[in-house]
Amino acid sequence: MVSGQIKPIRKVHKTGKESDTLIGLFFIFPFIALWFIWFFLPFMQSFIRSFQDANFISLEDAKFIGLTNYINILKDPEFHSALLHSVIIVAVSVPAITILSLLIALAVNQNIMAKGLFRTIYVVPYITSPIAAATVFMVLFRKDNLMAKAMSVFGFPNTTWFSDVNLALFFVIILFVWWQVGFFVIIYLAGLQDVPKELYEAATVDGAGTFRRFLNITVPSLKPVTFFVVTVVTIYAFQIYDQVAAISRYGVLGQPAGRTTTIITYFIQHGIRYMEIGYGCAAVVIFTLIILAVTFIQKILIGKED
Amino acid sequence: MNNYDKKNIPVTIILSIFAVVFILPLLYALYTSFLKLSDIDKLVGIQHWTLESYLRFWKDPNYDIPRWFMNTVIMTLITVAGNVVINSMAGYALAKLKFPGKTLVFFIIVATMTIPYQVVLIPVYVTMAKLNWLNTMASLTVPYLYQCLFVFMMKQFFQSIPNELLEAARIDGLSKIGIFSRIMLPLSKPGIISMIILNFTSTWNAYLVPSTMTSNSKSYVLIVGLNSVKDQFFDRTNVIMAGVVLITLPVILLFLIFQRHYIEGVATSGLKG
Repeated sequence: MVSGQIKPIRKVHKTGKESDTLIGLFFIFPFIALWFIWFFLPFMQSFIRSFQDANFISLEDAKFIGLTNYINILKDPEFHSALLHSVIIVAVSVPAITILSLLIALAVNQNIMAKGLFRTIYVVPYITSPIAAATVFMVLFRKDNLMAKAMSVFGFPNTTWFSDVNLALFFVIILFVWWQVGFFVIIYLAGLQDVPKELYEAATVDGAGTFRRFLNITVPSLKPVTFFVVTVVTIYAFQIYDQVAAISRYGVLGQPAGRTTTIITYFIQHGIRYMEIGYGCAAVVIFTLIILAVTFIQKILIGKED
Repeated sequence: MNNYDKKNIPVTIILSIFAVVFILPLLYALYTSFLKLSDIDKLVGIQHWTLESYLRFWKDPNYDIPRWFMNTVIMTLITVAGNVVINSMAGYALAKLKFPGKTLVFFIIVATMTIPYQVVLIPVYVTMAKLNWLNTMASLTVPYLYQCLFVFMMKQFFQSIPNELLEAARIDGLSKIGIFSRIMLPLSKPGIISMIILNFTSTWNAYLVPSTMTSNSKSYVLIVGLNSVKDQFFDRTNVIMAGVVLITLPVILLFLIFQRHYIEGVATSGLKG
């Protein structure tokens, strides 16, 4: 047999191979060790704790209580409003960010002056810390200040946005969209470079106008990128935290009056602030399942495309 | 050079208006940080500008802001150094070396990138408390010395280096470790710079982890500190804006210098899927 003939040759190289394996293990070890201690173990703990009545003070006495934490969370009206707020943030920011970043990328991609400058300006917000940006926006959106006044022209009340129960969540969304758009402008610009130039030339020869070319070439060519953008914005929007923490005063998350709570603030409030480890872990597992569901749906839809 | 499309002028105008709206908050922060308290929300000439707000913020008697600054610098430097070493080592192993369980490691990386990080936050917090690491630099750095996304990125970079080159180096007598440090690392400089910029920015700006792990104001980093003091500063807008500028400036400068690397990093890591 062929394999029988090769075997002796393999043996000759065996010593060299063993040291290869050692070097390979040496190079991968720091990563795997850190990952195991600081990701895998805590990940398993989150899962196990979510079925326990674990409390920070008496972790050793934690008892297995089955699905009680999950049931209590799903029955908690505070969780319902946190989930609702998260869904609202997703529902508003996903179309806003997708459309804005697509349009900006298309415009920056034209043959215009100061292309580089425009790109820089649109990306800079994403470089800045959301907390620092929130600090500036909070000044601008205070009653009688620049943005509060400017927005009153569009029919919004001239008020301090982040402490207004009707506007606070919208304020968080504005912050988030402003901060995040630049990231997706980069993604769209990268995607646009892959659209074959010949398609446009052929369409121009055929007499297609700018709008027809946009609709018949650009949009279909960018479909996979758009798909990616929509999924990622959805996931990021579910994970929003800094902007909410910035407007929450006196250590209570979700101010004013619980109008900006999200799934994230809910699990931090319970798991870390109230030290209800088991309950918090159950909340975070629910959150993780939502994120995985979004990813899973994306995978299925992409699979259908192919 | 002025052969821009004439019909693109409307696009340029709309883009400009929009750009002004986008950059306005940052310009407002910069401008206000130079003003005296009495000049706020007025347009004043450059001869009235002052650096007083910066001094006020830096030397605030109630908070040790230089210390927050040092904490931020140390946290960022340790994290970035760890990421450069550990991620490129792992990337090299995955791209060019043999070891048992390679497929499993690939699976680990993809799975970890799919799972949101928040899921481990509570147990990590509990572990830090047990180790007495809360409010120390260790709780802000040790778990974040690697990142799966960057391991993946480095693997892609190393894979593009042809095997013939490594073979030639081996024949010249270089060991695997020599090949890594003398050939792989220098040739992957663009990838490593991208990783450094992305990692530096996200660590410097981090809030979720530092705010969870630190409760003692001596261990605060700038972002956590800013968030805890900004409400008390709100009647001194110029001072708090000076704080915003101080915190934001290092990352913006770094971005402006290495913009190309940053954008390439985002584009390649973003479009991995």
